[in-house]
Amino acid sequence: MIIPRSLVSVVDDDESVRESLPDLLKEFGFDARTFSSAQEFLNSDCVGTTRCLILDVAMPGMSGPGLQRELKTRHQEIPIVFITARSDENIRPRLLEQGAVECLFKPFSDTALLEALKAALRVN
Amino acid sequence: MLETHTEEVARLRGCLNDLVGIMALPALWAGGEPQQIVATLLDALFGILQLAFVFVRLNDPDAGPWIEMMRGTELLESMHPAREFGVALDASLGDALLKWLPSARVSIGTEEFCVASARLGAHGEIGIVVAGCERPGFPEQTEKLLLQVAANQAAMGLQQARVLSAQKQVARELDQRVAQRTAELAKANEELRKEIIERRLTEEKLRHEERELERSEAFLAEAQQLARIGSFSWRVVNDEITWSEQLYRIFAFEPGLRITLERVATRIHPDDLHIMREMVDRVRRGAGDLEFEHRLLMPDGSVKYLHWLAHGTGEKNGGSVYTGAVQDVTQRRHAEEALAQARSELAHVTRVTSLGVLTASIAHEVSQPLAGIVTNASTCARMLASDPPNVEGARETVRRTIRDGNRASEVITRLRDLFRGKDLIVESVDLTETTREVIALTWSELQRNRVILRPELDGTLPPVLADRVQLQQVILNLLRNASDAMVDVEDRPRELLIRTEPDGDHHVRLSVKDVGVGFVPQDVDKLFEAFHTTKKEGMGIGLSVSRSIIERHNGRLWATRNDGPGATFSFSIPCGPAGMGGAGDPGMIRTAAGIDAHHVVKNL
Repeated sequence: MIIPRSLVSVVDDDESVRESLPDLLKEFGFDARTFSSAQEFLNSDCVGTTRCLILDVAMPGMSGPGLQRELKTRHQEIPIVFITARSDENIRPRLLEQGAVECLFKPFSDTALLEALKAALRVN
Repeated sequence: MLETHTEEVARLRGCLNDLVGIMALPALWAGGEPQQIVATLLDALFGILQLAFVFVRLNDPDAGPWIEMMRGTELLESMHPAREFGVALDASLGDALLKWLPSARVSIGTEEFCVASARLGAHGEIGIVVAGCERPGFPEQTEKLLLQVAANQAAMGLQQARVLSAQKQVARELDQRVAQRTAELAKANEELRKEIIERRLTEEKLRHEERELERSEAFLAEAQQLARIGSFSWRVVNDEITWSEQLYRIFAFEPGLRITLERVATRIHPDDLHIMREMVDRVRRGAGDLEFEHRLLMPDGSVKYLHWLAHGTGEKNGGSVYTGAVQDVTQRRHAEEALAQARSELAHVTRVTSLGVLTASIAHEVSQPLAGIVTNASTCARMLASDPPNVEGARETVRRTIRDGNRASEVITRLRDLFRGKDLIVESVDLTETTREVIALTWSELQRNRVILRPELDGTLPPVLADRVQLQQVILNLLRNASDAMVDVEDRPRELLIRTEPDGDHHVRLSVKDVGVGFVPQDVDKLFEAFHTTKKEGMGIGLSVSRSIIERHNGRLWATRNDGPGATFSFSIPCGPAGMGGAGDPGMIRTAAGIDAHHVVKNL
């Protein structure tokens, strides 16, 4: 029986992240798709198939938490791991409180990301 | 015979009746005027003696013209007025009355009359009465008698009338004199009254002025009270001190208490006694005007701030007198302290906020490529560890790692450029005025540190072309350093001299001299190195930044050891176009922390 690889979507306006994360995610055994904005992700055909969303907090246009609210409105709740380059520690508890699985500060280790993804898939 | 007798009796009876009538005449003219008496006499004689005319000439007692009156038949009266009768009588009898005969014949006009005359008064001094009748034989014996009695009666009446007239004259004169005197008195009275009114007005005016003066004094006292300003004078030679009421109130002394320097000292805040001693010494040495501030420690433990301004004047005997004003500036000082505190907090907040924003910006900008680097490196490690190793994939991740590393480097470069900003605000700056502003900013801080600040500022310096705020930062830094250097000094007054002066023809110089710990000669070069500090809490960047700023202004900043304790820090900058004109690298004068100096000082 072939277990289909879970799809992890990455939404981040930073190119470095969009280029580097998919390779790592594939090393972890996931499928990966990247989007440069929240709107691009909403417009794609991956909203229904994404098992976990790696989401940048601050982006031009719709922010990460903005996308999270939008999905909730559409009753398409996806486990979210937030990533951010901001150093404000206060942001993490707020995001967790609003339903995020994890919030990782850039740069983060591969193991921390893997742990967060596992937790997200367990929720799923 | 009988008939004759009967006629005689009848004639005598008629004569007696006439006599009675004549005797009654005085009752008719009593109290009358001479003319009235004469008129009555003329009417009576004319009627009684059945005359053609009767004439009276009265002498004037004051030798004036005589008065003539006449009573006659209608025909005579119409033809001859009294005056003509007088002239006719004079012509017939002569003009000497006394020589007129008791009886004679006279011609008046064409008629002849028998006349009888009688003198008025024993010697005719009053006048004469002349009766004329056409009847021959006039006057008969009885007629003479009647005429003489009537004349006597009239003479007495005229005499009385004259006396009365004289009395009346006297009375009139008296009345006149009384009236004149009364008028004079009334006039004098009027003048007196005017004088009294004027005096009253003057007094009123004086009282008004006194009231005005009192009111002015009251206003002054009230103004002094409102402004919390007292005044004083101090005769130095014998320490005779006079205070205004308000100054007593400020010091909370009983009004009228004798003021001595010792008594004043009991109210001075112990930490400020040195200020008072210093001022007294200066006065004794003959210093000029004084201006200083100190605190009072009141019996209830409260603290007051006083500002003294005094002007000294010399006296002939060699002594001098200081007069001046003392203002209670406690409220102002508290407000300033609150303001300084608020400014300090604001500056701190601004600095912290700026640093926080900057840090966040740095973190964000660097974190992005760092995240890429870490992720790529992790992926690379995993690819190489897989079996078989994914060398191609690893190579790609390494390529991206290198690229992100360069990107992080670019961020750092951009940040450095940001620190080196090029916008400087250059303007014409008066170094002395700028220094005064900094002194105002640090005044309360210096007072707290018991520093006696002695400004010797030249108000005639030429302007310099400079960044005003950055210069202020340097001056502020030097003042604070000097104050900090004296914080442990207890054996001498913490004097801080700040001086501005010309330095040659083309430079202006500012020096800050303290009596603090100073420095050892071998440290002179280290003083201006960044992160070199002698303070417990210092960063060691102040002098380094200050020197950068001064050099940026084409000037120099240096330190010298004093002959006595302490050090003097000075800077000299060119005035006029040589100042900022030939600027080198403008970025050099940014502070080490990257905060815009203008921003920091402005917010102080």
